[in-house]
Amino acid sequence: MAPMRWVRAISARVEETAETLGGKAHGLVLLHRLGLRVPAGFVVTTEACRAFLRDGRRPGGLDEELAAAVADLERSTGRVFGGPRRPLAVSVRSGAGVSMPGMMNTVLNLGLTTEATEGLAAETGDRPFALDARSRFLASFASATGAAEDLAGERRGRPVPDDANRQLEWAVEAVFASWDTPRARTYRTLNGIPHDLGTAVVVQRMVFGNRDARSGTGVAFSRDPNTGENVPYGEVLFGRQGDDVVSGRSATRPLGELAAREPGVWAELLDALRRIEGHYRDACYVEFTFEAGELWILQVRPGRFAGAAAVRLATELVDERVIERREALLRVSPRHLPHVRTPRIAPSERTDLLARGIGACPGVAAGRVATTAEGAVLMARDAPVILVRPETSPDDMHGLAAAAGIVTARGGPASHAAVVARAMGKPAVVGVTGLTVDAGSGSVAVGGRSVGDGTLITIDGTSGEVALGTPRVVADAADDHLHRLLAWADDVSGDHSARDEARRLDAAHAVLRRHPPTDRANR
Amino acid sequence: MNHSETPTTDADLLVLHALRCTGATGPARLSLATGLDESDVESELIDLGVAGLVTRISGPMPGWSLTDAGRAADIERITGELEAAGARAAVTAAYERFLVLNPELLDLCTAWQLRTVDGVAGVNDHSDPAYDARVLERFADLDRRAAAVCAELAAALPRFGRYRDRLAGALGRAASGELEYVTDSTASYHTVWAELHEDLLITLGMPRWPR
Repeated sequence: MAPMRWVRAISARVEETAETLGGKAHGLVLLHRLGLRVPAGFVVTTEACRAFLRDGRRPGGLDEELAAAVADLERSTGRVFGGPRRPLAVSVRSGAGVSMPGMMNTVLNLGLTTEATEGLAAETGDRPFALDARSRFLASFASATGAAEDLAGERRGRPVPDDANRQLEWAVEAVFASWDTPRARTYRTLNGIPHDLGTAVVVQRMVFGNRDARSGTGVAFSRDPNTGENVPYGEVLFGRQGDDVVSGRSATRPLGELAAREPGVWAELLDALRRIEGHYRDACYVEFTFEAGELWILQVRPGRFAGAAAVRLATELVDERVIERREALLRVSPRHLPHVRTPRIAPSERTDLLARGIGACPGVAAGRVATTAEGAVLMARDAPVILVRPETSPDDMHGLAAAAGIVTARGGPASHAAVVARAMGKPAVVGVTGLTVDAGSGSVAVGGRSVGDGTLITIDGTSGEVALGTPRVVADAADDHLHRLLAWADDVSGDHSARDEARRLDAAHAVLRRHPPTDRANR
Repeated sequence: MNHSETPTTDADLLVLHALRCTGATGPARLSLATGLDESDVESELIDLGVAGLVTRISGPMPGWSLTDAGRAADIERITGELEAAGARAAVTAAYERFLVLNPELLDLCTAWQLRTVDGVAGVNDHSDPAYDARVLERFADLDRRAAAVCAELAAALPRFGRYRDRLAGALGRAASGELEYVTDSTASYHTVWAELHEDLLITLGMPRWPR
């Protein structure tokens, strides 16, 4: 085959940088090198995206290269793209170095034309599964490209092509175009990311987490990102595809449940996390899917811990002889230090965890559940209140003002509730999947349990934990680690006088930057 | 437009609807929301109270709020106004454009409150004027696009014109150093934006989270 200009097969042999391949594909190359199981695929380079952004159309030769790369994928998988028998379906994902709000993320199950969907139904003997896969394709393709067609074939906007290659070309173009949405531009401006980098596009054979009872999907950190403790941490969804985890459509289970249900997958996942940590010499994060009991890693990056977790991680990596003290010092930013003593719910077996969402404003608040703004105002006259709502709107403002803390079922870190909570400096947990609020009866249901108005709960706006009662709260969980780290900092700077903690770390950083450690070249 | 006369909303409906969109509050905020004098707002509130549509709340946060009858009356009259003006199509189209801007606005509010430095997301303590200026510059850029949406809304229903003034006012005060007018005060850009969002949902009879 002729050498490709715009497309690269993803394998251990690829040598190019993350600038060309995008961060996602670069991570997949690493996974290949570590001998981990990765769905076969290829990447369209950022150079192709830049050509598209410059000329306003897909660069010459790209469509041919896509077709050739798909043909390779068909050969290696023994499947046929859009074919009536043993159909090949792929995922198409943006692959910029950083994930960016406003950019197209993922089209799943692309290639499931009407014919291929029938083929998948026949192959698996599971028609509902095939139709579910097709509807996920249509939904994700519509949101990415604006083309739309519901399962009944009714059309809105331009029709979805029933040709797998056309689908792929459109999806690749949609990823390119999403680089330049106003929202993405705003994000780059605010975060100092150049506008001319462009994004790569990762195309991989689908693995189906919704295939059967021994399938599923999840995300995992090699260590707890809330505390830094050296235990795997994450979420898993049995019998579902990855978009269910990200969208918050389904309530996830703690990662540890994999151990009992799929011991083989669990053992392999632990081994993968260990190998990746060994490479990064740092905590890591992976997204994974298992299909019929077989584990696939879909994405990897370093863990990027903050606050107390960053301090504990850096210190323990020294204890484990993974990194040296000077490296540990450099990994903790002086900016982490003010967050190290943010109050937290103390990790304890006795804590009765009701639910977990996304921490949107750090701090701990305890109070009685109120399911309406009016109720919150009334109850707050007597004792602190936690306002629990499906989501918030201006109609809830007086309740938000009266409450000590806020919990919402929906929304993310930029939701109305999150913005208002931070404006008021109140701990908040948003996006609690599976939480339903019945303001009529004054009750809240989550995870098969139900609590009523007036129930005492405690929320942790860092970890997103919602606990029953008043669990122990600590602000010094990482104190031992912090004292050791700062002692190392003083050794480096040679200044043992009593000073502010951030200044002690700053002084060490100044010395270390003048004398860079040789082992940093590996990072 | 087929209907040459765009209706001017009656003062009592302006107050009733503003109270619906802002949640429980007092005459000062309703005056800002409606453009009516505070004394006129109070007199409308008293009449609305007599009609059983609003009720006075006492306690630590005194003010006024809608009764169930008030909510029903508001929906009926606001929908009636929309249909009488033949403005549903225009307001729906503007709402769709609003929805494109809404996530970016929330990103910007978040960037105003939180800042990632050295890979650490922390509270933006507003100690770096260059960063704040960068965020406000993006607010201004978004606001130019929002102004076009507001103009379409005001052309369809004049009462929407008030949002343009309030958004521009909030941004102007933020730019002149009153930082609480971005996300924090009850007249902040975020607050006014959220009220506009609520107003559009109520006016069009749409749920916030379509199922």
